[in-house]
Amino acid sequence: MTSTEAGSPAPGIRVVIVDDHAIFRSGLKADLDPNIIVAGEAGTVEEAVAVIAAVRPDVVLLDVHLPGGLGGGGRDVLAGSAPLLGSTRFLALSVSDAAEDVVSVIRAGARGYVTKTISGAEISDAVRRVAGGDAVFSPRLAGFVLDAFGTAPADIADDELDRLSARELEVMRLIARGYSYKEVAKELFISIKTVETHVSAVLRKLQLSSRHELTRWAAERRLL
Amino acid sequence: MTTAVSRPPLVRGGDRVIAGVCTGLARHLGWPVRMVRLGMVAAALAGGAGVVFYAWLWIMVPTADESAKRNARQPASPIAPAVSAPFAAPPTTATSPAATPQAASAAAGAVPADSWRNRVTGVRYGKEILLGAGLLLAAGILIARVLGVDVPLGTLIPVAAILGGAAIAWMQLDETRRAGLVDKTKADQAGGWARLAAGLALVVAGVLVMVSGSGSWEQTWLALLSSVAVLGGVALVLLPWGLKFWRDLETERAGRVRATERAEIAAHLHDSVLQTLALIQRRAGNETDVVRLARAQERELRGWLYRDPGKDAGQLSEGINAAAAEVEDSLGHAVEVVTVGDCAMSERREALVQAAREAMLNAARHGGGAVSVYLEVTDDAAEVFVKDRGPGFDPDAVPADRLGVRESIVGRMNRHGGTATITSSPDGTEVRLRLPLSAVASAAAASNSNGEARL
Repeated sequence: MTSTEAGSPAPGIRVVIVDDHAIFRSGLKADLDPNIIVAGEAGTVEEAVAVIAAVRPDVVLLDVHLPGGLGGGGRDVLAGSAPLLGSTRFLALSVSDAAEDVVSVIRAGARGYVTKTISGAEISDAVRRVAGGDAVFSPRLAGFVLDAFGTAPADIADDELDRLSARELEVMRLIARGYSYKEVAKELFISIKTVETHVSAVLRKLQLSSRHELTRWAAERRLL
Repeated sequence: MTTAVSRPPLVRGGDRVIAGVCTGLARHLGWPVRMVRLGMVAAALAGGAGVVFYAWLWIMVPTADESAKRNARQPASPIAPAVSAPFAAPPTTATSPAATPQAASAAAGAVPADSWRNRVTGVRYGKEILLGAGLLLAAGILIARVLGVDVPLGTLIPVAAILGGAAIAWMQLDETRRAGLVDKTKADQAGGWARLAAGLALVVAGVLVMVSGSGSWEQTWLALLSSVAVLGGVALVLLPWGLKFWRDLETERAGRVRATERAEIAAHLHDSVLQTLALIQRRAGNETDVVRLARAQERELRGWLYRDPGKDAGQLSEGINAAAAEVEDSLGHAVEVVTVGDCAMSERREALVQAAREAMLNAARHGGGAVSVYLEVTDDAAEVFVKDRGPGFDPDAVPADRLGVRESIVGRMNRHGGTATITSSPDGTEVRLRLPLSAVASAAAASNSNGEARL
């Protein structure tokens, strides 16, 4: 694996854009890098599940708020595409940066979360990263993670899933401060690959942890 | 005397002996309450006409609260009716002395007996007079019997029992309606149920005795059994209807709440988003203006949609967010704020906000790309990081006359016992502000600030 920021694993990444606004879909299509191929589009939960099953893309750009399904929006698409989660990765997109939206799609299986206001280059970069198996954390998502897991590092005796290690906390803090992965690596004197490993570990904890504080934190924000 | 035009609405008042009918009537007509009460008693003695009139008014005339709720059309927020109702009663001089103890007792969740006592003292011996009148009436009847006048006691006692029971139960209805707005404590409910049961028992006993003609116990039991059986049958038939009616009522209430919410949302969107869209259309030519407007509107809408209701006002994160919003508005430059943890505002923390604001202004002015602001509050300290992606600068090469960095950021933090470090590279500049929160740290900070102030 190379250590370049956009270590493109394949010449062309096939993506499906799921968003109920046609204007946004076409705008995003125009913004994406030329080596990202839009293989399909969908505007509702049902359409999305069908298109994803038929096209089997590398990455799905998934809007959090979608009509149809059980009313859960992006979460329903993830639930409907559960068998494909091994081969197809989901990157959540939203105009909302409310905690409940972000955390619920991540816990449903999305590999990353970006807001719709970021530039085309940044989205393309995020798509490549997710396609490569890494997680994409926006500063705000990192903030939520720090809020949910607390800012104290884990003791060794603690359940591994329930706390972040000191290194993971450092990485999350730097991301919350607006650092890119490259800047994080430089700041901590580690390789980008190590940063990606830490971020993936945090993502896994966020998805799997049943930590008391996390559930309470989520309940306070009516996530559960 | 008031004229017909300025006559207050006919509502039952809070200053009440039985149900507040006389008070309401007196206020509506502009007569003294005492006169109305005496008149009502006189009418009651005249073949019971007063009693019938009183009962009719009791049923037909709403209380001040109910009338206020009915008239409150499209309240500004869903909580408006609950909030405004207690204050909606017209504040006349007649109500104010009596209304205060009532409100106090209701707010304290007092048992009905307490509010009862309050009311009695509020109406200065009204109850005693009523009781005396009743005793006098009983004495009169007894004397009449002794004198040989034939009084149909067998009918009078049950009728009195029925009336008394009904009065107790109805008063209970009024009471719960009034208290239900304020609070629902268990003591209140228990007392309410006891009163309802007592009233019901009195009425049933009265009816039984009247129907069975004050006969033997055997007959009375039989009548009781058959009436219970009949009541059970009627209840069985009417229960589904009642349930359906109740559900309809609930649905309608939920619908009304939704309509209120919808009205609130519509009002908000109209005031904010539609106005901004109109402004954007007018200024479509100026890109910076459009971006600034869109950004400000987005922030406002976001704050309205996702505000954390559990969060108290006057928190440090709010100060940082407000400072970021100010910078965004004045310079038209996006500032992304992420906060973790929070604490209450204080003078020293205000200094932290001011220093952060200065850092954001610098970042937005000289840096490129989005400005990232991160606030983290732990038990020991509050830290703020302001990062931009500009070309960077050498902090040591800043001319001495440029007060921005040296005085407003570093100096201010030092004076308040905090620290400020600035790191700059060609990738961007980051300002790190740290303010210790603990008491020991602030004591050390105080001595430190003295030294700094002299510099």
